Amino acid sequence: MTMKLYLYGIIDSSDQIKESIYGLEGAGVYNIPFCDIGAAVSEICQMTQDTTDSAVLEHEAVVEKLMTDFTVLPVRFQTVIEGRDNLLSIMKSYYRDFKDNLERLRNKFEFGIKVIWPADKIKENIIKALKKDEQKKLDSGSSSGKRFMKEKFEKYKIDKELEAKADKFIKVMDIFFSKFAAEKKTEKLKTENLLIDAVYLVEKDKERNFREAFEHVKSARPDFKYLFSGPWPAYNFVVLSKKSGLLRDSEQADLLDKVTQDQILVGADSI
Amino acid sequence: MYNVVTKSKDVTLLEILDRVLDKGVVISGDMVISVANVDLIYLGLKVLLSSVETMEKLRGSPFVGPMQEAK
Repeated sequence: MTMKLYLYGIIDSSDQIKESIYGLEGAGVYNIPFCDIGAAVSEICQMTQDTTDSAVLEHEAVVEKLMTDFTVLPVRFQTVIEGRDNLLSIMKSYYRDFKDNLERLRNKFEFGIKVIWPADKIKENIIKALKKDEQKKLDSGSSSGKRFMKEKFEKYKIDKELEAKADKFIKVMDIFFSKFAAEKKTEKLKTENLLIDAVYLVEKDKERNFREAFEHVKSARPDFKYLFSGPWPAYNFVVLSKKSGLLRDSEQADLLDKVTQDQILVGADSI
Repeated sequence: MYNVVTKSKDVTLLEILDRVLDKGVVISGDMVISVANVDLIYLGLKVLLSSVETMEKLRGSPFVGPMQEAK
């Protein structure tokens, strides 16, 4: 029966993992190398793992332990591969993509920042300001149709103003973080109260500066609420372009030549 | 006074779930990949939905970073 391999991450080394790491089902995590990179796996019996808090935490714990010694491309929860040959086949197909990502993410962490603002309160203030301007026009009396259109327009103006205020704050964030973040991904107003949901890719040696920048941002608007998390493995910054990652046949043959017999035998003793 | 969201264990868990279940390397978006009639990869992702507005309510113990939380 072919063994099932649970894949935690792709690492930038073909060396064995020195630290004892235990993953799902308490199985030891080891590296299956492919050329100069590797796949951190453990063997599992169950085809799929239940999506429980503890299983997710175990997966994350393995990735974070790997992160202390390697650059890691974290793999999504519950990626199970049927046998070493299939895994090597995947590694071969994605080799270029994996290499590019490992290079780009070397010595970098991910940080998450969420900012919550009191949207209702801010809207109230916007409405107050708009009312002052519009008071005369509203009092001038108009048909229900015109009034309806006016109300619609007013709502549009409120939303636009809210967005403008959000943009202004995000601009401030950018000023503080741009110096220390290599990459960022932001989503504005996912919900009315969630002003920004952002992730930043930060070099290890700039972590302190980044944290300080965050303190500055907080002090700019102490009435907002902030959720800062990290350092994380770069979950949000792995970019796979499957098409370009696939190698031509000739390149694949070259790569396979490079896979040493030692590499092929890794994990074979436990089959 | 700062009105910072207090980062409880629950909040950290949600941050972890958001990443582990929804981000990272995905070999394929399909639930099952079939290559040469062999099922290679099984991705059994159950989507957990949470919002930060829910997180806001989860105030409790002081924040501990994900490195500590996950272990």
